[in-house]
Amino acid sequence: MRKKEKKLVVTFHTTADAMAMEKACREYNVPGRLIPVPRSISAGCGMAWCMAVEDRDKILRVLKERNIEQEDVHECML
Amino acid sequence: MNLSDSKKKLAAAGVVCGLVAVCLAYFGNPANMAFCIACFIRDTAGALGLHSTETVQYARPEIIGLVLGSFIISVAAKEYRSTAGSSPAVRFILGMILAIGSLVFLGCPLRMIIRMSAGDLNAWVALIGFVLGVGTGVFALKKGFSLGRAHLTNRVSGGVLPALMLGILALAAATPLLKSSSGGPGSMHAPLLLALAGGLIFGVFAQKSRMCLAGGIRDAILMKNFDLLTIIGGFFAVMLIYNIVSGNFIPAFDTPGVIAHSEHLWNILGMYAVGFAAVLAGGCPLRQLILAGQGSSDSAVTVTGMFIGAALAHNFGLAASGTAMDAQTQKVVEGAVPFYGKIAVLICIAVCFIIAFTNKRTEGK
Repeated sequence: MRKKEKKLVVTFHTTADAMAMEKACREYNVPGRLIPVPRSISAGCGMAWCMAVEDRDKILRVLKERNIEQEDVHECML
Repeated sequence: MNLSDSKKKLAAAGVVCGLVAVCLAYFGNPANMAFCIACFIRDTAGALGLHSTETVQYARPEIIGLVLGSFIISVAAKEYRSTAGSSPAVRFILGMILAIGSLVFLGCPLRMIIRMSAGDLNAWVALIGFVLGVGTGVFALKKGFSLGRAHLTNRVSGGVLPALMLGILALAAATPLLKSSSGGPGSMHAPLLLALAGGLIFGVFAQKSRMCLAGGIRDAILMKNFDLLTIIGGFFAVMLIYNIVSGNFIPAFDTPGVIAHSEHLWNILGMYAVGFAAVLAGGCPLRQLILAGQGSSDSAVTVTGMFIGAALAHNFGLAASGTAMDAQTQKVVEGAVPFYGKIAVLICIAVCFIIAFTNKRTEGK
């Protein structure tokens, strides 16, 4: 089984925001992937952006420059 | 209790829900309709007098239990969040489409899985439409579809649908006001308390696991994530074993008595509309009830739309008929989709496209 590691999980108010984030991160070359929002974070069924913890500053820049409103930023073992 | 931290736990949640469905089928729910959200909402709409088809009127405690189960567990786990404001009128329409599409196919996605597990090849055909519908919804998501965000609202708002369900339960248990079929599928049901308990258990596990048929396929297509499909796998396995053991597994098309028809195109298109609308609404009919239970007024509006859609489907004769054995002639009478049912499905699909490509995320809002 894959070993779990600490990841940064950015959640959004809408699925469309999560998908806009994916597009923006591809353009800004910030590695990561869309995942279903971890159950430990929410009982909802949206999508989140999962990425390396070290890239926190990069992601905050992308969010700001692309005017994407995040709901929250979590650190999770995934 | 975290059910989502391993595939085994997710599959186990599906197994529990499957056992509930098996139990209810054994104790009286109609063949192959052990636990169908669209059919049971339709029956409950009939019980309330929203439609007058006498064979499908019964306040199904399973629907009440699902909403209350989700409400109770979300309050207990402090996950209850009263939210509203994500294009409620559009969601009402999507709810209507979910019900109409389901009643043309004769079952919601959950019943599609149940029918598949009993060898009903019509349901396997319909699965093609459902997957294509979800796929079209995913395409719309990729093109920026959004109904806008929901906001936190007064705590009472999210409790309205659970309270209404409690009201229906009180009317069913203590008054003669609700209609109840004396023949047909509406007359076949498990005892009230058992059905209520089944609904509550199903509701709790569905809330905990986030079980969703449309979500499962959406996540698989969009993110190669198979968590939600694992739950469906557990559910399907239990139903398959039950059907084989009980002799109900009959791999065929025109099987009398299972409340299904073999108009392939309309099975596909009916479930296409359901899959498409479910992705746009953020969940299949089951998931809408669960979300409504945990406080989403938007989902409560979708559920209301399903009630009205189900009522219209019967008032206007849109719902399909199932293949049945004529009691007098002993001949098989093939089930069919009425003309206006076909027109309704085409309108539903057209409306889904309009909703999907006119509601966009506003960049930099």
